[in-house]
Amino acid sequence: MPLYRYIERDTFVHRMHPTVKVIALLVMFWSVYWVDNPLALLPLGFLLLFIAVITGSSGNFYALRWLFIILITSTTLMWMATYRPGPAMVHMPKVNIRKASILFGLGKGIKLAELLAASVLFISTTKVEEFTIGLAKLRVPYRVGFAVSLSFRLAPLFVDSALTIVDAQRLRGYDFGEGGIFARLRRYATVAIPVFMGALRKANNMAMALEARGFGRLARPTTYVDYPFRAADMIAFAALFAIAAGYFLIYWTGYGAVVA
Amino acid sequence: MKLEPQDSAGNTVAAADTDGTAECAVEAIDLGFTYQDGTKAALRAVGFRQARGEMIGVMGASGAGKSTLAKCLNRIIPEFEGGEFRGAVAIGGRPLDGLRVCDVAADVGMVFQDFEAQLFSTNVAHEVAFAMEQIGMDRATMNARMTPALEAVGLAGFEHRDPTSLSGGEKQRLAIASVLALSPRVIVLDEPTTDLDPEGKAEVFALIRSLRERGLSLIVIEHETEELRRADRVILMREGAVIAEGPPAAVMTQLDLLEASGVHPPSLNRALAMLGIGGHAESVDDAYAAIVRAYPRLESRVPSAPESENPAVDRVATQTQVPPLAAVEDVSFNYTAGPRVLDSISLAIAPGDFLAIVGQNGSGKTTLAKHIVGLLKPLAGRVLLEGRDRATLRAAETAREAAYVFQNPDHQIFAATVWDEVAFGPRNFKLDAGEVDRRCIEVLDAVGLLAERESDPFLLSKGERQRLAVASVLALRPRLLILDEPTTGLDYREQRRMMQLVTDLNRAGIAIVIITHTPWLVAEYARRVALIRKGRKLFDGSVREFFANDELLKTAAFRPPEVTRLARRFGTLALSPGEFADWVKERA
Repeated sequence: MPLYRYIERDTFVHRMHPTVKVIALLVMFWSVYWVDNPLALLPLGFLLLFIAVITGSSGNFYALRWLFIILITSTTLMWMATYRPGPAMVHMPKVNIRKASILFGLGKGIKLAELLAASVLFISTTKVEEFTIGLAKLRVPYRVGFAVSLSFRLAPLFVDSALTIVDAQRLRGYDFGEGGIFARLRRYATVAIPVFMGALRKANNMAMALEARGFGRLARPTTYVDYPFRAADMIAFAALFAIAAGYFLIYWTGYGAVVA
Repeated sequence: MKLEPQDSAGNTVAAADTDGTAECAVEAIDLGFTYQDGTKAALRAVGFRQARGEMIGVMGASGAGKSTLAKCLNRIIPEFEGGEFRGAVAIGGRPLDGLRVCDVAADVGMVFQDFEAQLFSTNVAHEVAFAMEQIGMDRATMNARMTPALEAVGLAGFEHRDPTSLSGGEKQRLAIASVLALSPRVIVLDEPTTDLDPEGKAEVFALIRSLRERGLSLIVIEHETEELRRADRVILMREGAVIAEGPPAAVMTQLDLLEASGVHPPSLNRALAMLGIGGHAESVDDAYAAIVRAYPRLESRVPSAPESENPAVDRVATQTQVPPLAAVEDVSFNYTAGPRVLDSISLAIAPGDFLAIVGQNGSGKTTLAKHIVGLLKPLAGRVLLEGRDRATLRAAETAREAAYVFQNPDHQIFAATVWDEVAFGPRNFKLDAGEVDRRCIEVLDAVGLLAERESDPFLLSKGERQRLAVASVLALRPRLLILDEPTTGLDYREQRRMMQLVTDLNRAGIAIVIITHTPWLVAEYARRVALIRKGRKLFDGSVREFFANDELLKTAAFRPPEVTRLARRFGTLALSPGEFADWVKERA
């Protein structure tokens, strides 16, 4: 199982300054935050998909296709059931289907999917080291930035470990699917405890290894790779600003909402 | 650029200092340490001096204080680990008192056992640069040091490779490169080969030899005593104290002391002692010469090929006429979008068998085992348990036939007490309380943990946790027990104890399959060997046939135990020092 989802390519996105990449991620989050209307969200979705294709990241999206589908459908259904503005389109026993509910639910689902897509794209085109540097340039303390970027590396390790533990317990006759939802959650304690203990041990070993390599000696370590801020970064920065402003404008004018 | 000891500004360290201490790479004075919540001292009055360019080997059982000593040398103790510390350490004449771990990084390069936990970067170049960045080195110096460091460990040209795509041996060499780039005054390697396969171990040991020849100051903590024979000096530790110290020839000939300290005595020295010759053999050639001197008649009758007859202690493979307990028939498998891991492989395991599955990392050994116990389904072929297709069996039925102990015991331990851990399986199978109790007592007694029944499993030693993992699956009373590298991370005494347990279980009628990289375990315990390479079975036969087939061993990069290689020099085959000594006495 690959530990990173970084895709080694030489595209303009890969070459972008780390700070611009971090800002791009924040702009995506900002933009989807302001709007609920699926029609308003779709351009951003298409933009993310387009960038995924040209950066060679579509494989990472394909690997998570079920997560995207589940996110959109489950969110849509959940809001359809709980959010009931305006008159019903279809009347059925105990269920009234409203156009606004569908649009609102779909919008929330697309929002979450776009947040996920932006994160996947970021990970696919940004090395851990670049992430650290990007955060450092934004005045995030180096230790904090490093810890955040390191968590990207550790997460897959823990997932791998959890899968092994599930196998080990299954071989001892443990049925994780038995009982109701709370009973099932309780049953996962047999996985959580070894994962947690393993994580503690791994984190301890890693912290020792980090300090033994001089981590923490300087508040701002030097960097092996030079990341110059180029004209392309300025253009990207301007485009991101336009996207952020544009989505705020959509919100401000009311076009971003499903229900006024 | 040569990788000579330098300070963090890049200046080569002078050979002599005003106070004359520059020739001393490390000076440890009266080191003592008791871990927080520890009941006894982990380190007791340990002191030594290491000359510049000297290689010191540190031996001892788990818990002897080796790693604690290593951590004192770069301030992990007392800065990182809580506890009561006393004593002093000086590196190149500079006392470390009051310094942080990161302040010492440029002087003491530390390489840990867990190679996964010491790689942080997305490519090899970034990994090597990491420590240099941390101490504030400028970009030009980093670039100048990068290539020599990677060349020294044989990873030049790997700069853009993702570290996670490297083999275990390559990862550990990368970790060494990253400390070499700092040109530290001393490099401390804390059991760097424990988690590696034979090929990875050979790579790292070759690198250590090369660093030694370049005159770097090295402190190597290692379970494999044979690899410490080239050290200038070895230190033997027990219960936190140094109990023997001197040249390898002086310490490694104290066989009883080594054994009592939980250290594997070099098999050549053991054979020489059994023959009444004694002394220290640095290599198979040395031992051969010593034996020929003592028994001149042997040299004149050396046959060109190994003798075909088997001595009395021969352990023959299980007869294939017996209906198999488990049978893998033409199984092929690959993980999603990955290469073929198993390729039309077949294997039969008879009742009472003792089979060792060997092969390099990634050869498909564990994948094969997971097919037998039902964790994976074959893409082609089938697996039979007691003649029944495993695909048709329920999990409970499979569990009663075949059990699997994972390499890392901590992957299955979760209960609050040893008793509950063992009872977990039988309770899942809805056995009544009386039967659960009976089984718990039976298996805890068998693995020697009955007295620990109320203990917290996480507080047991690694060896005890490994035995607990075995007990927890034994409670299901399987007829076949598969152990994936059951001795990894255990010291010699724990390895012996684990293998004695496995042997006892086998004598009680349980078929045993061990997946292992350790040649002497195969030689001394298994009856049959299956060699897997790239998902195919290259060999399946008796242990003797396996170790007699030079071509096969070369293909598999599997190095027989030294005593077996010595026996081959005399044209015979012996799997242990005792067997070889008997053969010599008989012939001479």
